[in-house]
Amino acid sequence: MNPETLLQQLRSQQLEADTRRQFLKTCTTGMGSFFLSHQLAGGAVPTPQHEAGNPLSALQPHFNPKVKRVIYLHMIGAPSQLELFDYKPELEKLDGKPCPQEFLEGKRFAFIQGTPNMMGPQAKFQQHGDSGAWISDRLPHLAKHADDLCFIKTMNTDQFNHGPAQLMVHTGHAQIGYPSAGSWVTWGLGTENSDMPGFMVLLSGGRLPRVGKALWSAGFLPSVYQGVQCRSVGDPVLNVSNPAGTNREIRRTALDALNKLNESTFDEFGDPETLTRIAQYEMAYRMQTAVPEVMSIEEEPAAVHEMYGTEPGKESFANNCLLARRLAERGVRYIQLFDWGWDSHGASKTEALNGGFLDKCQQVDKPISALLTDLKQRGMLEDTLVIWSGEFGRTPMRENRGGQEMALKGRDHNPGAFTLWMAGAGVKAGTTYGETDPIGYDAALNPVRVNDFHATLLHLLGFNHKHLTVPFQGLQQKLTGVNHAEVVKGVLS
Amino acid sequence: MNLRLISGLFLLAFASSGSPAQAENRIDFARDIRPVLNAKCTGCHGGVKQAGGVSFVYENQVVNFEGETGNPVVVPGDVDASELFFRITLPADDVDRMPPAEEHPKGLNENEIALFRQWIEEGADWAGHWSFESPTAPEIPALAEDQTANSEIDHFIFSRLEKEGLKPSPPAEAARLLRRLSLDLNGLPPTPEELDVFLADHARDPEGAIIAAVEERLARPAFGEKWASMWLDLVRYADSRGLGQDGKRNIWPYRDWVVNAFNDDMPFDQFTIRQLAGDLLPEPTIDDLIATAAHRNTQTNNEGGTDDEEFRTEAVIDRVNTTWQTWGSITFGCVQCHDHPYEAFHHDDYYEFMAFFNNTADSDLGNDEPLLQVPTDPAMRGKAGQLDRDIRDLQTRLWESGQEAVASVSWSPLALERVSTSNNTVLETGAVGGQHHFFTKGTVQRGPVYSLYPTLPGSGEPITGFKLTVLPTDAEKALKDSEWGFEVSELDVELLDANDEATKVEFAASVADIPYLPHKPDTVIGNSGNGFQAWTRLHHARELTIIPKAPITPGEKTLRIRITNKGFLLGAFPLVIKRGYFEVSSDPSLIAFAQSEAQRGMKKQLASLQAERKKIPSTTLPVMAERHSSIARPTHVFARGNFLEKDKPVSAGLPDSLPPLPESKNPSRLDMAKWWVSGEHPMTSRVLVNRIWEQLFGTGIVATLEDFGSSGEKPSHPELLDFLALRFQNEHAWSMKAVVRDIVLSSTYQQSAKASPALVERDPSNRLLARGPRSRLSAEVLRDQALAIGGLLTEKVGGPPVHPPIPEGVWKPFQGGDKWETPKPGEADRYRRALYTYTKRSIPYPAMATFDAPSREFCSPRRLASNTPLQALTMLNDAAFSEAAQGLARRMKYDTEGSVSDKLSAGYRIATARQPSPEKLKELIGLFDKLEVQYASEPELKKGMAGTADGAAYTIVARVILNLDEVLTK
Repeated sequence: MNPETLLQQLRSQQLEADTRRQFLKTCTTGMGSFFLSHQLAGGAVPTPQHEAGNPLSALQPHFNPKVKRVIYLHMIGAPSQLELFDYKPELEKLDGKPCPQEFLEGKRFAFIQGTPNMMGPQAKFQQHGDSGAWISDRLPHLAKHADDLCFIKTMNTDQFNHGPAQLMVHTGHAQIGYPSAGSWVTWGLGTENSDMPGFMVLLSGGRLPRVGKALWSAGFLPSVYQGVQCRSVGDPVLNVSNPAGTNREIRRTALDALNKLNESTFDEFGDPETLTRIAQYEMAYRMQTAVPEVMSIEEEPAAVHEMYGTEPGKESFANNCLLARRLAERGVRYIQLFDWGWDSHGASKTEALNGGFLDKCQQVDKPISALLTDLKQRGMLEDTLVIWSGEFGRTPMRENRGGQEMALKGRDHNPGAFTLWMAGAGVKAGTTYGETDPIGYDAALNPVRVNDFHATLLHLLGFNHKHLTVPFQGLQQKLTGVNHAEVVKGVLS
Repeated sequence: MNLRLISGLFLLAFASSGSPAQAENRIDFARDIRPVLNAKCTGCHGGVKQAGGVSFVYENQVVNFEGETGNPVVVPGDVDASELFFRITLPADDVDRMPPAEEHPKGLNENEIALFRQWIEEGADWAGHWSFESPTAPEIPALAEDQTANSEIDHFIFSRLEKEGLKPSPPAEAARLLRRLSLDLNGLPPTPEELDVFLADHARDPEGAIIAAVEERLARPAFGEKWASMWLDLVRYADSRGLGQDGKRNIWPYRDWVVNAFNDDMPFDQFTIRQLAGDLLPEPTIDDLIATAAHRNTQTNNEGGTDDEEFRTEAVIDRVNTTWQTWGSITFGCVQCHDHPYEAFHHDDYYEFMAFFNNTADSDLGNDEPLLQVPTDPAMRGKAGQLDRDIRDLQTRLWESGQEAVASVSWSPLALERVSTSNNTVLETGAVGGQHHFFTKGTVQRGPVYSLYPTLPGSGEPITGFKLTVLPTDAEKALKDSEWGFEVSELDVELLDANDEATKVEFAASVADIPYLPHKPDTVIGNSGNGFQAWTRLHHARELTIIPKAPITPGEKTLRIRITNKGFLLGAFPLVIKRGYFEVSSDPSLIAFAQSEAQRGMKKQLASLQAERKKIPSTTLPVMAERHSSIARPTHVFARGNFLEKDKPVSAGLPDSLPPLPESKNPSRLDMAKWWVSGEHPMTSRVLVNRIWEQLFGTGIVATLEDFGSSGEKPSHPELLDFLALRFQNEHAWSMKAVVRDIVLSSTYQQSAKASPALVERDPSNRLLARGPRSRLSAEVLRDQALAIGGLLTEKVGGPPVHPPIPEGVWKPFQGGDKWETPKPGEADRYRRALYTYTKRSIPYPAMATFDAPSREFCSPRRLASNTPLQALTMLNDAAFSEAAQGLARRMKYDTEGSVSDKLSAGYRIATARQPSPEKLKELIGLFDKLEVQYASEPELKKGMAGTADGAAYTIVARVILNLDEVLTK
């Protein structure tokens, strides 16, 4: 049997099997837009209603969104804003002086003890583009995109340890167990490509982030919305390859038989889940070709490899930037990249501002710049949002672990201020929002909390963050949590 | 319809009350009034916001209560005097109309207003929410004459079906019933041999055969292995520590304890008490202590630079939330930050309950202390437990005698002439309140050695004891917000001659202020062990006395005290004394005490007991232990739930909205544990029978397993829930197996799962149970079943976690030392049940996570079964399932006699417990033939899977069989 016909047949059977209530909902809001209208539900919170049997069917959000998809670049370990984007000449003057007590009172640090010394910027800064954005000489390629970027200099969080802070950035909560932003978005919007997962995760190799898969977990949402990790070792997506002894033709033969047997089970038991299962097996079959195809970056022209600095077959951030573009092209909704090694305490050579930090900057500068250029050339920056951040900032004080001066230069964790930038759809290009104090320690003007950022992100994707909720443990849970969160209007275009 | 209802109510309001015929039409507060209040009123007049002082969560803030308007909100029997009724009946444009037009444009509808009127007129009875009221013994409903039933359960279910105009389904086919029973009770399919025996018995005596099959399966060890998963989800069991590093945690003996408890049918009251407070039982056995690891499954954070107190507090909060969720199905966590929005719990209630858990010795330590040494040979547990108790008794006696000796002599302050340190830490001295303090100033560097030079007392009396007191830098604040602690790794007293040549004073004994801590305080003298400590936080002043072997008379020599502070934690925090002082005594009784025969004897005995205990091979397990009362942590209310903002102090207690504790002045964790299973608690037994029901039917009687509160779903069959709950705690004396037995022997459970389209439309999620249960198997059962079908399963119960095949590239732990070493094909540990797979929170085992097993960071009260393409990829391609398919292929090809058709039928039967229908068999044979031809024509293709073309064809057919909807569901 032709699989496409079978699928169509299944779809129509599913519609029939749909309950009358769901059918009525479908009629009142129109096909393709399965969100219950806020008004019609009499003030109740609207919930995403996917087609029966297809939890990833594409949906319209609460209002018309500018952003169709997100590429999030997370620099795990928290890069220093003071060496990259937040230029502080005042701090330069304080270099080497003991930190005034008032800066230390009521503060909690991970490693700083007693009275540390202040430390000036460890990079040269210059203004770039028409916007005059300050970007340090650590990122020469990105600096050329100054007029594409929208900086938030006043991001702040209440977590100053990596694990909880990373969870805050991705799930809005400091504990493990909550859905990630990508899961919320995929739940709310589904995916436009029924051959691919809606939420994919790319790691630059090395180890997993310390809280692991919790950063792309679906939490208490159904597991179908969790991030699917793309891998450069083994299968590009877990179990996407047939086992030894099975080729595509044999798989098709086997699936045809399986479908027939399952159809007769449906005839016998009448359980609609059986039909859903047949549809899921068919999607899996399509994924088996779609995924390896998108992952094979070697087919890109040499000029593209040159631009990104990619080396096919290796685990690298550059490869992942190119992959991100390919996934975005194919309609993947939320693409999450993790790079690692940005925890510049100064405790070791690889973790020092005058050591590993320089290499890290070099490794990401060219590919990020290439990704922006590439998306722009293809017209994709108009409906794609690119986000870059860490999980917190770093202190204007030099770290003095164990109460003594260290050989290398580093900064401790600082939840008070960090820089995040966005580029692309829905945001004001070439602007800077918010201002930190003269030493870049705390958000001074227009602070943006992580949950404000989440509210903004959801807004850009067409959601009122207060209405994308799911009941769990007695609360209407949402990405932005229980505290007040506000859309940062100042960054919207 | 509305009109008719309203006129009916109108008439009712004038009818004389109390006539039995109308009793059914009386307002039921929980059914008729509370849902309206929760939907339209408690948003502003609830637990969080209490506009005008009115809260519809509490009766005493409504009935005969005057809000800010000065008028009583509700006066029973008097509609006109009730402000509530006045306000809800105002015209929509009146600013005083409730609910306000802005949020609720339409206000209350006429029907709702009529309900309020009737309710007030009938006396405004304020019933608690159903789950807060004790279950009551319901009458067993009668059935229609033509309806047969196996048990009381059926009476409840079938009488409801009758009312709904539905009929029960016929019994399931015998083979299918056996498969359902085997999967539900043991998590494994029946073997073909078991099936043959059962079918033969069933043909003779259906009832007898079913009872025998149930009893057999209740008695197998596999019962506990299956049912443990339900409990391990609740207590968030995992083999790693979570957050931060997520390193390995050796806690599997607890998992085995749960399996054994289910197998031994430990009564649920004992099961509860041991897990919550086994350590506080009068003479705890090793097993009682193992049980307490239930609450040591909390996450710890060993990331560098993390605050131990913050994550200890997180763990305690998790214990509170998990306890309420597990035993009460109540979302108590809401009250952490504010009064509960819709349940009768106050903000303070949370912290009063937290006080039960706040004084355990664990404190987010990197090594999971306190640890129990669990004998690896269960037969040694009795002896080890006795030794542990003897050791502890002796330690207590030693400590008490020491305390007495120290308290019975007089102490005088020791003045300090000067002080110095070995590094950049600045140490100063000064007199405070009659004592001579030494204290640090500014930045403390790790590892300082302090040298203190005392001014000797003028009297020249010999010294017979030194008493060190360590103080928090801010004593008052430390009680609320503890400070980083200290570690005296070495404490020496030296005599210096004129040339600064030092002679160490020899000491006979040390007496610490508390009898036992994870680290032994007396290792401080002359040793360099981890000695006297506040590890890792300091709330209270601490004391240590050391007694020399002989009186010290310095004469011409000077005295020097050296304190080595080696403690350094999480790569960040030096654990050093920041303030302290010494006192000395000259009383000769101290030395007499230290050198006495009694002391020597006890110490010798202690050493020999400890040596004997050490000989018993053991593995470590994190357990609960209570800190000594003298250093107990005070508990405070956290303002807005923030642990850095401590409000008033509270002591352990329970919410007023639930039955009180039995008489107890200072209730302990043990009293709290007993309270849950006293038989008076309205939730405990309902919650547990509901969980068992959900395991067997796929949906609970209360569908929201996680919420029995007023925002959860109501029970579909409330009387049945009460019936089962009371029977469980009374007749069955808390036997969980008895509840399982009752349910599976009911006709309701044994119905066929076939459903007509009409029935599916009428009751899509089968809440009315007009058909038998049908649901996708759990992640664990899917693996175990595949191994059993493939003939691979290793039936070994218990032991350390195992590492079955894991797809390449998945295992990349943040910490390097945690290795995933998979046993080779053929080795037993490669094929253990899913329960035994190593569970790392940050890297869930892929096949488990894909099939909705939670990663166990927190209490997971309910699994939602999803249906995704990744599940298809796992079942079709994952290495473990491929191996199972090869196993089933071998069973068809080699272990079955006869034709291809016979072999394929046998394979189908092994997996589904049934003979294939002729059409299905035809499909399987057609598939086999087609594959065999293809593999024969392309010999290269079968490489890595099978040696022969027919072997390859059997393998693919086996894979199809393993992926059948019939196999994936029960």
